[in-house]
Amino acid sequence: MLRPYIPILFLGILGAALAVVSVLGGGFIGPKRYNRAKLDAYECGIEPTEQAVSAARFPVKFYLTAMLFIVFDIEIIFLYPWAVAFGRLGLFGLVEMVAFLATVFVAYAYVWRRGGLDWN
Amino acid sequence: MSTVTTATATATATVLAASPQTSVSEAVVFWIVAPVAIAAALAMVFSRHAVHAALLLVVDFFCLAVLYAAQDAPFLAAVQVIVYTGAIMILFLFVLMLVGVDSSDSLVETLRGQRVAAAALALGFVVLLIGAIGSATLQMPSQGLAAANAEGNVIGIARLLFTRYVFAFEATSALLITAALGAMVLAHKEQVVPRVSQREMSRRRFAGAHPTPYPSPGVFARHDAVDTPALLPDGTAAEPRPPVLEGSSNQAGRAGDPAGPGATGSGS
Amino acid sequence: MTQAVLAEPAPLPLPDFGSEPWWLIIIKVLFVFVFLLVLTLLTIWGERRVVARMQQRLGPNRTGPFGVLQGLADGLKLAFKEDIIPAMADRPVYLLAPIVSTIPAFLAFSVIPFGPTVSIFGHRTALQLTDLPVGVLFILAMSSLGVYGIVLAGWASGSTYPLLGSLRSAAQMISYEVSMGLALVAVFLYAGSLSTSQIVDAQRSRWFIIAVPISFVIYGISCVGETNRAPFDLPEAESELVGGFHTEYSSLKFAMFFLAEYINMITVSAVATTLFLGGWRAPWPLSLFSWANAGWLPMLWFVAKLCIFLFIFIWLRGTMPRLRYDQFMHLGWKVLVPGALVWLLLVATARALSFRDFLLYAGVPAAVVLLAWAFWPTGGRQDRPPPPVERGTPPRYPVPQLDAEPLRRSAGKEVTRA
Repeated sequence: MLRPYIPILFLGILGAALAVVSVLGGGFIGPKRYNRAKLDAYECGIEPTEQAVSAARFPVKFYLTAMLFIVFDIEIIFLYPWAVAFGRLGLFGLVEMVAFLATVFVAYAYVWRRGGLDWN
Repeated sequence: MSTVTTATATATATVLAASPQTSVSEAVVFWIVAPVAIAAALAMVFSRHAVHAALLLVVDFFCLAVLYAAQDAPFLAAVQVIVYTGAIMILFLFVLMLVGVDSSDSLVETLRGQRVAAAALALGFVVLLIGAIGSATLQMPSQGLAAANAEGNVIGIARLLFTRYVFAFEATSALLITAALGAMVLAHKEQVVPRVSQREMSRRRFAGAHPTPYPSPGVFARHDAVDTPALLPDGTAAEPRPPVLEGSSNQAGRAGDPAGPGATGSGS
Repeated sequence: MTQAVLAEPAPLPLPDFGSEPWWLIIIKVLFVFVFLLVLTLLTIWGERRVVARMQQRLGPNRTGPFGVLQGLADGLKLAFKEDIIPAMADRPVYLLAPIVSTIPAFLAFSVIPFGPTVSIFGHRTALQLTDLPVGVLFILAMSSLGVYGIVLAGWASGSTYPLLGSLRSAAQMISYEVSMGLALVAVFLYAGSLSTSQIVDAQRSRWFIIAVPISFVIYGISCVGETNRAPFDLPEAESELVGGFHTEYSSLKFAMFFLAEYINMITVSAVATTLFLGGWRAPWPLSLFSWANAGWLPMLWFVAKLCIFLFIFIWLRGTMPRLRYDQFMHLGWKVLVPGALVWLLLVATARALSFRDFLLYAGVPAAVVLLAWAFWPTGGRQDRPPPPVERGTPPRYPVPQLDAEPLRRSAGKEVTRA
C-alpha cells in the first residue's frame, strides 16, 4: 500500500540533499568579509528599526483573507470527492451540493457586501 | 497539550486498529513517524517561542498526514496537509505575526480559571478517547480496508459523505458561515469614507500645493529633486531653466519652442 | 435512473507504481530530478533571451552557444557570493526557509505523467514516477506547503520589507489557490478521478481544454498568481518592497528560492498540460495515428506543451505591467472565485442532465469572448476630456519643463473649446 510513495520519498531525499547542501555549503564556498552594515536589515540605507513591524501597524486584513481562505478551502475539499463520484451520486448529489454552495455563498455575499474583499 | 494527546491517540489507534494485519512497511513507517510526531508535539508545548511552536505543530500535522497515508487513507492525508498545514497553520502564523513576536513572553493569564477549565477539558477528552478506542478494539464490527476502499478511496468517502452523513455535510456549511461572520466581526474595519481611487489621488496631488514626492522618513533632505541643478560634464552646475509656472504672467518658454507662450496665447 | 445514464466506463486501475525493480525507480527519480534542474536552467536562459527580444535587446549570448549556459553561470556566481545571515534573523528558521520552499517544489512533480508505458531494459513501465489515487490533491498539498517557505523567509529575516513581502505573497498565493482549486473541480467532474494518469486517460477522445474551456482560463490566470509571476509579481514589487520575501537572502540560499520559483512555474505548466491539454497525448491531426501515442514519442508532445506554457509565462512578463494589490485581490476574489463557482454549477447541471455538448458549443465561444474582453485595449477612458485645471493661486514651486508642456497645452485647448 505504501509502495507508490517510495519514489516520492526518493525524490524528496534528493531535493532535500540539494537544498541542505546548498544552504549550508553557501557559507563555506563564498568569501567572508565581516562588515556590521551588511548584517543589518536592509532598509534602503537608513538605520533599521528595532522590531521589523510593530504589532500595532500590522495590517489586520491579512487575517481576514486567511480566514476566508480556510472557508473556501474546506468548501473545495468537499467539492473534490463530490466531483469524482458525481456520476454515481446522480441528481441527488447535485441538489445537495447546490444547497451547500448556496449556504456558503451567503457568507461570501455578506463578506463582499460589507467590503471584506476590498483592499486599499 | 491537546496535540500531544491527539498524536498519542492516533498512534495508539494505529497500533490497535491495524494490529491483526499490520504490514511490515506500515510498521516501519509508524515507528519512524510516530516518535517524531510525539517529540514534535512535546517540543511544541515546551517551546518558548510562539513561531517555533507553530512550526513544530506543522511538523506534527505533517506526521499525522504520513500516518494516514500509511493506513491507506490517501484522501485524508492530502486533506490533512491542505487544510491543516496549508490553511489553518498559515492563519496561525498570520496571527502570531499580528500580535508581534515578543508578546509570547507574557506570562500573565488574562482568562480566569483557564487552568481548571483546561484540566477538565483534557480529562473529558481522555475519557472520550478511551471510550472510542475501547469500543473500536472490543466490539465494533469492522468492515476492513478492502471493503471501504472497494471503489477507490475518494469514491468511498464521497459515498459516505453525500449519502449517510449528508446532514453533517450540510451542517458544515453553517459552520463555515459562522467562521466567515466571526472573521468579519473581529477583523473587518468598516470603510466609512468613500474610497479614493488612484486617478482621484493623482488629480488631488497635482491640484494641491506639492506634486513632487516628500522626502522619505529619516532622510535629511536639503533639496527637493526638482530644484537641485543638474551637473554638466565638467562638474559645474547647469544653468537652471526658467521654471514654467502655471498661470503666472512670467512664462519664459524655451527659445525656438513653437509651443511657447505665443502658441498658448493665440490659442485662447 | 440518472445513474445509468451517467455511468462512465470505469477508469483503468492505477499501474503498480513503486513495485518496479529498485534500479528502475532510481533511474526515474534521477531523471525527474535532472529534468527539473536542466529545464530550470534553460528557462532562466530562455526567459532572459525572449524578454530581451521583446525589448529589442540581445540578451545573454556569451556563455556557451547562444548563451545557453547562462543559468549555470548565474548559479555558479551565486555560489561564490558571500553568505550573509542578518544579525536580526532568527537563525534556525532563516536557514530552514529555503529548504522548505525547495523540497515541495520537487515533490509536486512526482505524480506528473511524462508518457505511456514503454520498455526500459526489457521492463514494461509507465513513464511516470508514481501516481496516487489523489494525485492532483497531492500536487495541491505540495503547493500549499510551498507557502511556508515564503512566510518563514519573510518572518525570519527580521526586517520590514521581507515581512511585508512575505505576507503579501502568502495572501496572494492562498487567494489564488481558491480559484485554482475551484477551476479544477470541473475537470474532475469529467474525468471521474483525481489521479493524473487516469485524467490523461480520460482525455483520449477530447482534451479538457475543449470540454471545460472556462476552467482552463481560470486555472491559467490563477496559476500565474499562484507562482507569483508577472503581472502578479507583487511580492517582489521592487518599486515598493525591494526584493520581497528574499531581500535578506544571498548566495546559494537565494538560489534555492529562485530554483523553487522556476520549478513551481514548470509544475503548474505541467499540471495545466496534464489536466487540460491531454498530457502526453499527441495533438489532433497526429493523434489519428496510433504511433503518435505510443512509445517514447509522447514525451516529446508533453515537453512541447510544457514549453508552450513556459513561453506564455515569459510572454506575460514581457507584456503586462504589474497590477496594483487591490486590483489583484479584486480579480482573485470578486471575478475568478464567483466565475469559477458559476461555471462549475453550469457544468455540473449540464452533466446531470446529460446535456454535455451544450457546454461545448456554449463554453468555447464564452471563453473566447471572455479572453477578448480581458485583452481588449481599453481606449474609452482616454477619450474623455482632460479635467479642468484649477487656476487658483499659482503654485510656488518649479515644475519640470517637459511635464509642464502638455498640461499647458491641454489647458489651452480647454479654453479654445469653451
